[in-house]
Amino acid sequence: MNVVTDPAKLLLERMLRLLRWRVWVQEKLQPTEWQITLLWAGFAGFLGALSSLVFQGLAEGVHQLLTGSNEGVVESMKQLPWWAVLALPAVGGLLAGIVLMLGKHLTKGQSSTDYMEAISIGSGQVPIRASLVKSAAALFSIGSGGSIGREGPMVQLAAVMASFIGRWRQFTPPQLRLMVACGASAGIASAYNAPIAGSFFVAEIILGTIAMESLGPLAVSAVVAAMTVRVLTSEAQLYKVPEFRLGSPLEMPAYIALGVIAGILAPWFLRSLKHAEKIFIATKLPLVARMTLGGLIVGALAIQVPEVCGNGYSVVVTILKGQVLWTTLLLFVACKWLATASSFGSGAPGGVFTPSLFMGAGAGFLFGQAVHTIWPGGAVDPRAFALVGMGAFLSAVSHAPVMAVIMLFEMTLSYDIILPLMLCSVVAYYTAKGLDGRSLYSEVLKTKAAEKIGDAGFGRGQVAELMKSKPPTLSRHAHFAEIARMFLATRVNNLYVTDEQQRFLGAVSLHDIKPYLGEPELAELVIANDILREEFPRVGPESTLSEALGHFLNFEAERLPVVDPSGKLLGSLSKGDLLLALVEMRKKPLVV
Amino acid sequence: MTDLRVNSGDEAIRALHQRLRAATPDVRDAAQFLKDLFERSALSSVCISEDVAMPHARTTAVSRIVLGVARTAAPVSFDVEHPGVRLIFMIGTPKAAVTEYLQAVAALSRILKQGGTRAALLEAPTEAEFRAVLARAQLR
Repeated sequence: MNVVTDPAKLLLERMLRLLRWRVWVQEKLQPTEWQITLLWAGFAGFLGALSSLVFQGLAEGVHQLLTGSNEGVVESMKQLPWWAVLALPAVGGLLAGIVLMLGKHLTKGQSSTDYMEAISIGSGQVPIRASLVKSAAALFSIGSGGSIGREGPMVQLAAVMASFIGRWRQFTPPQLRLMVACGASAGIASAYNAPIAGSFFVAEIILGTIAMESLGPLAVSAVVAAMTVRVLTSEAQLYKVPEFRLGSPLEMPAYIALGVIAGILAPWFLRSLKHAEKIFIATKLPLVARMTLGGLIVGALAIQVPEVCGNGYSVVVTILKGQVLWTTLLLFVACKWLATASSFGSGAPGGVFTPSLFMGAGAGFLFGQAVHTIWPGGAVDPRAFALVGMGAFLSAVSHAPVMAVIMLFEMTLSYDIILPLMLCSVVAYYTAKGLDGRSLYSEVLKTKAAEKIGDAGFGRGQVAELMKSKPPTLSRHAHFAEIARMFLATRVNNLYVTDEQQRFLGAVSLHDIKPYLGEPELAELVIANDILREEFPRVGPESTLSEALGHFLNFEAERLPVVDPSGKLLGSLSKGDLLLALVEMRKKPLVV
Repeated sequence: MTDLRVNSGDEAIRALHQRLRAATPDVRDAAQFLKDLFERSALSSVCISEDVAMPHARTTAVSRIVLGVARTAAPVSFDVEHPGVRLIFMIGTPKAAVTEYLQAVAALSRILKQGGTRAALLEAPTEAEFRAVLARAQLR
């Protein structure tokens, strides 16, 4: 028997055995780049859920610290003396303003923190420090009872986590953008316990496409996030509401009318928020003073109507249970509108998603009550109108009716109300869109996209934009052992061979050497130069994406080398990135 | 061919190359083939054991895979680490034929690994016997 004792040979044989295993596993499981992306999407979902839970915990902690109560925002406000109710949101605004001001020094030179901008028109990089500063400020505005949603910062943090993963793994811009989108999806899924709506929110509003290339990872991320939250907090649906059903088809006209009303009110609501912002800016007060003033207005309203504080969640539950008189509710809605405009307008970091749900529930209930009073058969249960109103208002505000319907269904698990909900959301969407083309999210994206148009390097659809630099390379002298080691260390199927000047010579294919991995004798003789394929297709950095796609269609490879006119290897282009970028290009342009 | 009388690896390559170009029209450009053989030998050793060398090249000079086999009369030096080479297997493969090249090299390695084949090739008294040993090994 021939026993090998040379340690170098033993190592080589072991390495070749490992490589054979790798090839075997790869052939059996065939993990494509898409499947790997799904794994990272799942990880982003997990981290997104954790960051959401941590933020929620911290916000509750700040609230407890400021109020000495561990109950909900509205409940603790009710227990405080009037002067404390007046002062608390102002103090919160002051502290949030100070954090933002101090944070400016820490985040100099960092770009916008907006995750939607990073996904839609940016490189997918969400600045970490700036986002943390904004989230820390949000803790004070939310913890002190500001009329603002905590879900916005939760989604932002989840997006930061995902962006961090993508940057750590050195993802290309399209992959990074998809990763941040996965983070946002996870954030919404964990904030609202609504994984389907989380996926569709990002797909419909931010990506503008529900192509499977992006929806798949979004769904995985959202599911992992929702699972994580459920396991760690044992939360079920967000709004535990009585069972609603469509009383009779005669109710439908009233629901259609509600859709029209929500469609008219929603743009007003958005415009009023923008208007409030302008008024605050016109005061020319410094940010800290503006935020304190915003808090003071909320506090003043809360002395009489503590329900204006917070994101409005507890009041929505009360409305859905029918525990509020319509006259009281009218007061709530008016004050909440004013409070949200004050918080948002003063620059308090937070979201207006949940306040929108409040407005919808209020408007829906009031309308349902009015119809019920005049014609009981036309609106059997005004509470059902509150629920449908939430969906309609959300649909009109976000211009995303599919997401709104799904979100309402997931938050309440009331399937019986789905027919009026769908109809009303669609009517509200068309009404709002007809009145005002801008949605809650489109404004900022339009402005930023217009700025980006001036940037010559952006969006020309060239290979250079998607190229990943420093692909693993071999010299033409590399022996079989080195080739095997490199194939084991990287996950590529083709290794590029370059000369001393980094000129591309060809590629060594794992497919070619696969049958000979059991023959270490070849290791003595075979070098990269012997087995490189010179005819391996390559793309130029200035090639268009469709030219690159043509190469991929004619040649089976996951990546192609990017080579400049002098033959120098600049990087590699992944098929996954290319398809993702083509999907992104297919969506409607942001600037019209 | 057997009992090749040469003094160095380079000479052995030239001699076997000369024989191969005469034996087959598949060597379309003999000068280019020789150049490619030497270029490859300069890149890295072409010996697979102490007494076996496989000078080879993937080249545009051959129209299909060609193989020449020789045994030297006395050990010759191919490089510092391989001073006593006796068996030479020269392979020329077309540029695109990566798989065929690997197949040929792997097949030869297997043949030479078989118990006694190498010794039989070294001891074969005539060229006919040398060829017979190769043929038998191939059949196994």
